Amino acid sequence: MSDTTTSDVDLVGDETTLNIARAALLAALTGAFAIVGSIPIPFSPVPFTLQVLGVFLAGLLLGPIWGAASMLLYLVAGAVGAPVFAGGSAGIGILAGQTGGYLFSYPIAAAAAGYLAHGGSELTDLRVIPSIRPLAGMTAAIVIIYALGTAQFAFVTDIGLVEALTLASLPFIPGDVFKMFIALVLIRSGSLNEHVLPK
Amino acid sequence: MTLVYRPGDSVAHRLDPRSKFAVQASFVVAAFVYTTPGGLVWLTALTGVLMAAADTSPIATIGELRYLAPFLVGAPVLQGLTLGTPWFVVADAVPPALASYRILLVLFVSAAYVRTTPVRASRAAIQRTVPGRFGRFLGVGVALVFRFLPLLQRDLARIRDAQRARLGRQRSIRDRARLLAVAGFNRAFRRADRLALALQARCFAWNPTLPPLRLGRRDLPALALAVGLSAAALYGAI
Repeated sequence: MSDTTTSDVDLVGDETTLNIARAALLAALTGAFAIVGSIPIPFSPVPFTLQVLGVFLAGLLLGPIWGAASMLLYLVAGAVGAPVFAGGSAGIGILAGQTGGYLFSYPIAAAAAGYLAHGGSELTDLRVIPSIRPLAGMTAAIVIIYALGTAQFAFVTDIGLVEALTLASLPFIPGDVFKMFIALVLIRSGSLNEHVLPK
Repeated sequence: MTLVYRPGDSVAHRLDPRSKFAVQASFVVAAFVYTTPGGLVWLTALTGVLMAAADTSPIATIGELRYLAPFLVGAPVLQGLTLGTPWFVVADAVPPALASYRILLVLFVSAAYVRTTPVRASRAAIQRTVPGRFGRFLGVGVALVFRFLPLLQRDLARIRDAQRARLGRQRSIRDRARLLAVAGFNRAFRRADRLALALQARCFAWNPTLPPLRLGRRDLPALALAVGLSAAALYGAI
């Protein structure tokens, strides 16, 4: 009757538990920004969303490994049905669709931002390192996001790279550069709680 | 209302999540291989059958995907436009138009999956498909994302309400975005710290008990369809 099995409980270590919790929460926050975080801009059809800020800060605050893990959770959760993609959409169709390339690039972009900012996979105190390092990391992240995003947009939509760049990338780049400076202000000012910043 | 799971007793509700995922994935591949008018007619018919099996309304789905409209319509229009007479070349616009239609079909099929598959089942499917600790990390993490998404959305909505009540709309976009981000991240990290403590207190382990999943006889048609679509795609690609 009973199909119970016994096995040893394999506990997750303390630090890993905290990192899993933070990775999941940052993934969920990035998803929440996709809907609630949008601020309409006058005279622009493109709403201003803070999603990319989630990518930057996942890399900067969790480091390259857990930052990438967090964005991977975001993608998998979206693929199996959490409404975390732009406008509250979900499903494998979005990933295979026109804008999927931007999403696929998130784990790589977060890893690049974290690696360049911290100069490796060890976390450093972001308040004291030179600003150029997080800026270089986030610039690399933006380049990765737009390269992969534009390539998939052009391939899936069957249009030229120039048209894809015009339609799907150029209108968004100024906003993302702007978010890069917001992220920099956030990590420099200490306006995030001290427990957010690595010890 | 966004695309979410709805309980029900349709054919698709009773299938194993893994077979539904196989149908979805093979549909995507087939749609990419057969992006021709003839192929899309067949795929449209198949989409209709799948949505009926999942008891999912196409009209409601279109309503939920309306934010994609500028991209779906924009791509063929932009590709057709040329500088100088005749300004619009229809022949240039046809391939992107077919591609846009294909995307719409893929989105419909994935909407049917999302509507008919509970999160627990998806989590169990992930953990059983992806081996080892990595699969367990994905399973646990995805479940946590589902759990905390509505809470964090509510946090952000509250922060924005509070800003609005204090005439926050008169501030610059830069200030509004910064304040929203600071408060949003602080709350998320506070929740993460509490969650980690609660998980440790409850013996958070790599090997918890999962709900049972069973690939049964009723999954055979779905698996056959997935194999058929993959074979057709392979045939078309060669």
